[in-house]
Formats: sequence, structure tokens, C-alpha cells
Amino acid sequence: MRVGHPYIPNTREIREQMLREMGIASIDDLFADIPEKIRLKRALKLPRAMSELEVKRHMKAMLAKNKPFTQMLSFIGGGAWPHDIPSHVQALARRSEFVTSYTPYQPEASQGMLQTLFEYQSMIAELVGLDVANASMYDWASALGEAALTCARITRRKRFLIPKLISPERRVTLQTYVVGPGLEVAEIGYDRKTGRLDLSQLRAQLGQDVAGVYVENPSYLGFLETQVEEMSDAAHKAGALFVVGVNPISLGLLKAPGDYGADIVVGEGQPLGNPVSFGGPYLGIFACRGEMKLVRQMPGRLIGMTTTLEGGKRGYCMVLATREQHIRHERATSNICTNNALCAVSAAIYLASLGPQGLRGVAERCAANASYAMKKLNAIHGLKAPIFDAPHFNEFTLNCDGTRMSIEKLNSKLLERGIQGGISLRREFPELGETALLCTTELHSREDIDRLAEELEEIVGGQR
Amino acid sequence: MKVGEYEVPEGLYYSREHEWVKLEGKLARMGVTDYAQRKLGDVVYVELPEVGKQVKQLTEPKTREMELGAVESIKAVSAVYSPLSGEVKETNSALSDRPELVNTSPYDEGWICVIGPSALEDELKNLMDAKGYAEYLKGLE
Amino acid sequence: MSYQQARWTEPLIFELSKPGRTAVSLPEKSPEGVNIPKKLLREQLGLPEVSEPQVVRHYTRLSQMNWSVDSGFYPLGSCTMKYNPKICEELAALETVTCVHPRQSEDTVQGALELIYKLEKYLAEIVGVSRVTLHPSAGAHGEFTGMLITRAYHKFKGEEQQRTEVIVPDSAHGTNFASAAMAGFSVVVVPSDARGRVDLDALKNAVSDRTAALMLTNPNTLGLFDDQILGITDIVHGAGGLLYYDGANLNGIMGKTRPGDMGFDIVHYNLHKTFSTPHGGGGPGSGPIGVTRELERFLPVPVVEYDRKRDHYYLDYDRPDSIGKINGFYGNFGVLVKAYAYILLMGAEGLTEAAETATLNANYIMRKLLGVKGYELKFDSGRPCKHEVVFSAEPLKRETGATAKDIAKRLLDYGVHAPTYYFPPIVHEALMIEPTETEPREELDHFVDALKAIAEEARSSPEKLRTAPHATAIGRLDEVKASREPILSWRMHKKSRPRMPTSSVEIIREMRARS
Repeated sequence: MRVGHPYIPNTREIREQMLREMGIASIDDLFADIPEKIRLKRALKLPRAMSELEVKRHMKAMLAKNKPFTQMLSFIGGGAWPHDIPSHVQALARRSEFVTSYTPYQPEASQGMLQTLFEYQSMIAELVGLDVANASMYDWASALGEAALTCARITRRKRFLIPKLISPERRVTLQTYVVGPGLEVAEIGYDRKTGRLDLSQLRAQLGQDVAGVYVENPSYLGFLETQVEEMSDAAHKAGALFVVGVNPISLGLLKAPGDYGADIVVGEGQPLGNPVSFGGPYLGIFACRGEMKLVRQMPGRLIGMTTTLEGGKRGYCMVLATREQHIRHERATSNICTNNALCAVSAAIYLASLGPQGLRGVAERCAANASYAMKKLNAIHGLKAPIFDAPHFNEFTLNCDGTRMSIEKLNSKLLERGIQGGISLRREFPELGETALLCTTELHSREDIDRLAEELEEIVGGQR
Repeated sequence: MKVGEYEVPEGLYYSREHEWVKLEGKLARMGVTDYAQRKLGDVVYVELPEVGKQVKQLTEPKTREMELGAVESIKAVSAVYSPLSGEVKETNSALSDRPELVNTSPYDEGWICVIGPSALEDELKNLMDAKGYAEYLKGLE
Repeated sequence: MSYQQARWTEPLIFELSKPGRTAVSLPEKSPEGVNIPKKLLREQLGLPEVSEPQVVRHYTRLSQMNWSVDSGFYPLGSCTMKYNPKICEELAALETVTCVHPRQSEDTVQGALELIYKLEKYLAEIVGVSRVTLHPSAGAHGEFTGMLITRAYHKFKGEEQQRTEVIVPDSAHGTNFASAAMAGFSVVVVPSDARGRVDLDALKNAVSDRTAALMLTNPNTLGLFDDQILGITDIVHGAGGLLYYDGANLNGIMGKTRPGDMGFDIVHYNLHKTFSTPHGGGGPGSGPIGVTRELERFLPVPVVEYDRKRDHYYLDYDRPDSIGKINGFYGNFGVLVKAYAYILLMGAEGLTEAAETATLNANYIMRKLLGVKGYELKFDSGRPCKHEVVFSAEPLKRETGATAKDIAKRLLDYGVHAPTYYFPPIVHEALMIEPTETEPREELDHFVDALKAIAEEARSSPEKLRTAPHATAIGRLDEVKASREPILSWRMHKKSRPRMPTSSVEIIREMRARS
């Protein structure tokens, strides 16, 4: 007897028996309505089917050509941050009841996912200091795109202001998102000394046509915006919404954006228990004030608390679904359907595990490591770290104008020594000179930073 | 009068999209009919028009200028079309907190807005009276 | 078969909190300390404080109150809830996947780039297109990308101002309308004909020099293959529009026919449906887009290219006509790894076998259910369907008052997840059933028997249906209250007290006190 397929329980024999009972001569009869002209009359040109063992060997060998940051010392961040993920967080988030479920359309049978997502929404709300967070977006960049569209819907205005110092990925994604309604994205410059957003330029740009003002705190280049209250006031005075982008880990330490006037908060939830995985899947954070005027314009799924119909028992279900595409079609607040629920599950378990002290602890270690690294690197002749005179969180700029090397050269020398240096900023921000963006997290030890400093010292010194 | 389980009060004017109009002097109060609220089920939200909005009486094809907002249940959204052309003078703010009034009192407390009609006489001809609407409903069932 | 889901009375994680508890230990602090002015720091953070065993029990219990493909049959129409091989999870969890940073130097990510490059090639062959982008994070995201490419194409031809309409059939998924609108198009709806196909005359009337594209899924949402497809593509192409293929239903035709050969210009995939990457309770998914040669120039950046001479893969950003970027990096790589593994495991023969078996299983259900009183087919009765079949429970409703929703809820008590119901909207009391190739015949028989038994119950004990489900973690919820007075977070709940029961623990306590 021919051996069946491991994932297809109806063997050829069973299928033939089913066909016979149905009075159908051949499986091809079920496809007879496909016009002759477009029937595929050959096999698909794909590699032959492999056994699980072969696939494992093949893919492990292919993926071994990647060099994970666990096998080298890496200082890359810039919107994707490596952190430790506690073993139990991974073990729980990988439970197949979560992994292999669909969107919880039947709340009675999906309370587990619904309550977990409600807890995720609740913990994000605490973290950012706003009442409402949705059940997730794809990532920070797309969440920012959605935030701009949301501001435009609420204010019926068409200009969106962003800082000049923003990640290129987010800027380009935002520009792609606003093509449909034809919003204009304008950039606000920065103070060359501190990096801070230029307040007077912001005020000058704020007209009656501005839908929203977006700032990032910590900024893309790691420094903190110290005048966020002023920005929020300026935006609100002009009738615009104030949108803040965050690395959520920083909120273990930093003031919640809701407490300095943010109407909407977006951010990258990846560092909350999700691996960097070469760029995805990540977790778009999207939160807003509890006013229904905002909530009704929010994109994405929302989970709410309610009771059973016969009363008494608490339960959770999807709410305010009339904002969404499956009901409101072309007038929906967004087309988003599948989101990144499982990444939100990881984030919920991560945040619950850390608690206020744990998250503060992680944030402190990230910031303290950056602080130490800046001190060590800045002491090296020819290097400057950071280039801005401002407090920083866990990322900072490193400039090598004082050496005769380009930042790429410096990075490739580091790579030869098994160290992945920072992200070169030369293409996006040529005015900053030979500068890179470096990141530290709790994964870095004091010795790691010392080693970076020593290697850099040698590389730079060898040049002189 | 009643058509099956649906209330159709006398003295009102009705549109084919199930809105009712009540003339009050020079103004016209409007809402959705008992039939509409029953078809929609439990109303969870009413999107009200802005006071001052200029609206047009519904004709085909439908455009946004003919919309007065929407009535939402948990799994459906139904646009509310204007039964008359004119300007929105007043909206029922009670619906923001108690959207269920559309279910419990569609012809009274669940009213949606007051319109200052601009072509009342001409446009009333396009609406039905209670008897006409009752016949219309029978045709739908 | 009797079924009972776990029924824990599990409080919110916040209600388990006691000051000083934690579930993690952290490495030694750097003596440097934090160099941030106090006025920028927060004073308080309202996260729960719980220990590791508490966290583990809490989320284990919650997971036990969650239906999944691994729990049992999940015939959710249009969602392709097929089995997700465990090996794919194992591979995506490798350190050479999870610990690779998207901004690392190209030399250190050759394996990832090779996988992306090859997966694109396989997917292109499966649907018959020239080039694929793996960037879109989900199906709807892919639709949005496809619509932006449509826009870029017409702009390139100098017709952006004129081509403002996207045509969508009345049986389409809601995302189609929303994606077209998000890209700035207005939507024109065409009706279905008596056989559930696109009404060709209506389509001829709908197309014009304003037509940017037609969005279509084939097999359609009724599970029927639209045999007039070549006529449809001719009409739209004749008017200067593009054809966009919604890949939601690709599982019914893989290896049998290809959208590219049907004449589609943009073809969309749901890797989380057809290519067996798990749905994760609503995501992450992956929604690649394939295009004809003519449209390649518009694909999002960066594109992965291969330099044969150097045997080197690289990211190409130098694409001046690109629509830009639609998310931060290069798509959901962790999901791509699983889809790549799945394609290797299946091979051409396996993918075809999957499509054939999924189709056979759907037809088997159709045949067995056709004779059952209470259920009927609305369109093209008896014609073979593809991956799914849509029944109407209207006869049963007329006879007993039981709705499609009642039936779907009652199915949960039989240990089967509800089919999609009330969709597509062109079928009243719709039950949209997609068995996939995953189910053994015994399970299909059980499903049909359950639907038979439920029809009988609707006649003999209708109350059982109206109050169903009974075997799940919880009974029917007050969804109206949930949307009228939304409580969307613990913060909002605390403000709303005592409108809601404060905690399940307290409720139990109260109940005990009362009795």
C-alpha cells in the first residue's frame, strides 16, 4: 500500500472511496469547470518534496549563513532592539492553543485569546498613560502611517508634521500610507546642538491645516526630547492632534506620553518579548485617549470587557467592530484585518512578568549601558559620542570625523574583529558627517562595552 | 396603524429608506422608523450630523450630501438619508449616551435631527403618508 | 462525541498582583547609573506584580480556554484553517532566524536573503507571475500594496487623475473595498449572476476609462470557480484596467490552474492560509504580492537581488519607480521561514494533493449535506465547488426560527468550531464551510451528523440552540453592552466600577455569601 501524506489524513485509497460513494469518476471531474485553456497541464516547477529530516538539514545549513548577534558582539538597534526574552514567556506564547487559533470571532470558544489581548491592551494603556490601546498593528512604521490617517479623519485637515530626525524606514512608510487621501507630510528641523525638535519652526509651521504633530521620544538618534509639553501645547492650540512615537522599554523609566499631552501614541512593541527576526513579525503599538471621538476613528481590533447574557459572569469580546472593514467596507477606519495578535500575546506575558520594577530595571540597564558606552567612546581620540548635548536613553550617535576614516570603514574594521557596529547615518543625514547610531540593551555587559572601546581605540589609533 | 409588528403612526411622512418626518411649523423633525430599528437590532451608536450641515433630499444615485449620519448595531451600519433638503438645525444629543432610544422610542425620544427645509412643498410629494408607507412595508415582507 | 472546554474562573492578571512580586531576575546593574534628568522620569507604573508560577498558570489556563486547529476541526470558511506542521515552528525559532537583526551588514545575513529570494521564486511559479514581494505583513496589507501598485502604474502611464475607480463584486471580502479606498480609489460594486459568478453584462456597464482595476477572488467566496474568467479579464483589460487577484481562496486550485495564466496582473497570497503558517489568534500573517513583468518596477523597496558572479545576495534600494515602503523592514521574516519550509515539505505534488483533497473534502460535505432538510444551496446547486461550500440555513429558519448564528454556536457544543456565518452577504443565513485537506473523513462525517442533529434539535428543543453554546468556557456574551459602554482596558474598568462585576474572584465570593 502506498504510504499516505503526513499532513493529509485522507489517503489516496480513502479519497477514491469517497469519490466512488459520491458517484464521481475522478478527482479531475471536480476541476472540470476550469476552462481547458488555463488548466495547468504540467507539474509546478518546484524542488521535489523533502522529508522533515531533509528540510531540517537543508534549512539549518542555509540559515547558518546568517550570523546571529548571539555569535558576535552587536550594537545595532534603530527600531529593532535585541532583548532577553525570559524562557517562560516564549514557552507560554508558543502554546499551540494560542498559535494555531484564528481571530476570536466566537468569543465563547476563544476567551483565552480575548482575555490575553484585553490584558495586552490594558498594560499598554498603563505604559503609555492613555485609556485605550488596540489589539495591535503590524509594526511601528505602519502604525505611524495609520496614525496620520486617523488624525486627518478626526480633524479633516491634510498636513502632518514630523521631525526631520526620524528613521528613514518610518518616514518612507508614512509617505506611502498617505498617498491615498493625499496628505502632505512636512519635516520640522532640529537644534544642531541638542538634536531637539526646533520649537520655533514647529510653531511657524502650525497652521489651521495641520492634522497632527508627530514627535519621537526617545528620538531615532537616541536623545530625549525635553520640551514635549511645549510641543503638545503648540499642537493643541492649533487644533492639531499630538502623536508620540515610543520605544516601550523606555517607558519603564520615562514619563508616560499621556501625561504630557499625547492624544495618540504609536511605537514598536517588538522589544516586549518578541525576537528581532530579521525585521518581523513585530508589534505595532497604537493607543489613544479614551474620548469616543478618537476611539471611533481608531484603526484595528479592540477587545472589550462585558458580561454573559444571563448575567453575572465576566467575559471578553471584540467591540466597536463597525469601524472595521468587514462591516463598513470602503468607509472603514482601516483595511487592517489580520494583525499581529500573537506578538501582542508575547508582549502581554512579557510585561506581566516584568512588572513595574522589572521593566524599570531593564530600562535602567539599557540607559546605564549607553551612558557608560558614550563615556568610554567619547574618551577615544578622534571619536565623539554622542554628537548631541542632551540626555539619551539606550541609543546614541558616534561620530568619527576626527579620524581619517569613513564610518563604513570603521564598521568594516569592527566586523573583522567580530563586532557589529552601529547603523551608518551618512545616506539619510549627510549633515551629521561620519556618524553611526549605536544601541545598548541589558544584553550588554560592562566587558562588552569595554571590548568595543578597546577595539575602536586600536582601529582609530592604528590609523594615526 | 400597525403593519405586522411594525408601528406606522399617522400624521408623519415616510421615505423609502425608512426615515420619518414630522412637520413642526417651519421645521421638520426626523428619525428612523420602527421597521428600520427592528431590522437593525440593538442600536449601539448613532452618528449625528453637524448642526448647520446642508443636506439634499435622497435621490438615486446616493451621494454623501444626502447623508445625515448612521445608525449602528454591533454588526451592521445603516446610513441615515435625508428625507428633505435643507439645513440641519438641531440634533438629538441624548442619543450620544442613550443610543438605545432609537430602539425603545423610534418616533419620539429616538428622533435624530431637526431640518430647516428649503423646498418643503415640492419635496413632500416624494414622501409617503402612513397609508402609503404601510403598503410599501407589506410589499417588502 | 461529547465536548467540554476548560472553564476556569480566571481573574485578570492585574487582580493577581501583590507588591514586590516579579517573574524575572535581571543581571547586575552597571555602576554608571542612569543619566537622565528627574523631570523626564515617571513616578508610577501600573503594571501587575506577579511571580513566574502565577504567570505560567494564568496564561496556561487562558490558553486552555481557546479553540485552535490543534484542538479540533476549524471549518471557518475563507480562512483556510489547515494544520500547521510543528517542524515549521521549530525552524522559525532557530537562533539563526530570531537573533538576526534587519540592519546587520549584508555579509552576515546571506542565509535570510537567500531564503527570501528563493521563496519569491517558488511563489511566483505557483501562481504564474514574474516577480513577488514578500513585504506585506498580512492579507489586507498585500491588497493595499497591490492597490498602490495599481495607482503607480496608471500614474506611470499618465492616467492617475482619470483612473479613480476600482470594481469589486458584491460577494467580495470587506478588505477589498477598504484597501481600494485606503489607496484613494472609489469603489464600484458589480452584482453576481444567478450562478454566483460575476455578472458579465453588469461588468461591461461598470468598466470605463475611469477603471483602475477589478479585484476578484477565483474561486469566489461561494467556493465556485468563475468559468467566465477569461471573458472577465478581457473586459477589464479592454478598458485599460488591471486585474487584481485576492488569494484568499488559492488553496482550492494550487497546481490545477494559475491566476497569472487567467490573466491577472497582480496576484496576492495569504501565507497564513494557503501555505500553512499559523494564524496566531489573528496574526501575524504574511500577504505577498506577485506581479507581471510590466509591474515589477513598482514593487516596494528594498528588493532582494542575487549577484551570480559573487554568489552574493543583496538588498536593492535603487528603484526610482517603487511605491516606497509599506512597513519597517522586509516583511514578516519569521512567517516566511515557515512558508518556505512548508513548500519544501510539500513539493509540487504535495501542494496539488492538498488542493485536490481540500476540494474533495468540501464536495463531500456538500453532497452529504444536500439531502438534509433545513439546509440548501443558493447558487448553482450540484455543481462541484472548490475549497469551500456555502450553505443557506434559511429553510431551517423559516421552519423553526433557528438562525445560522444559532447553528454555528450550537456546533461548538459538538466539538467543532463554527463555520463563517452571514458571509458572503449574497446568501441569506449563510454557513460558509471550508474543511481544508487537514480533516480525515471521519471528522467530515461527524460534522455532517452534527449539522443533522442540530436541525433536529431546532425542531424538538429550540431552546438548546437559542442559548448555545453550553460546552464552552463561557456562554453567550452581552455584546451590545460591550459596544454601547465600551470597557477597553483595566484603567477604564477601574473608572467604571461598580457597573461591572469587579473580579471573578469577588463574584464567586459574593455568590457563596448569598447561598
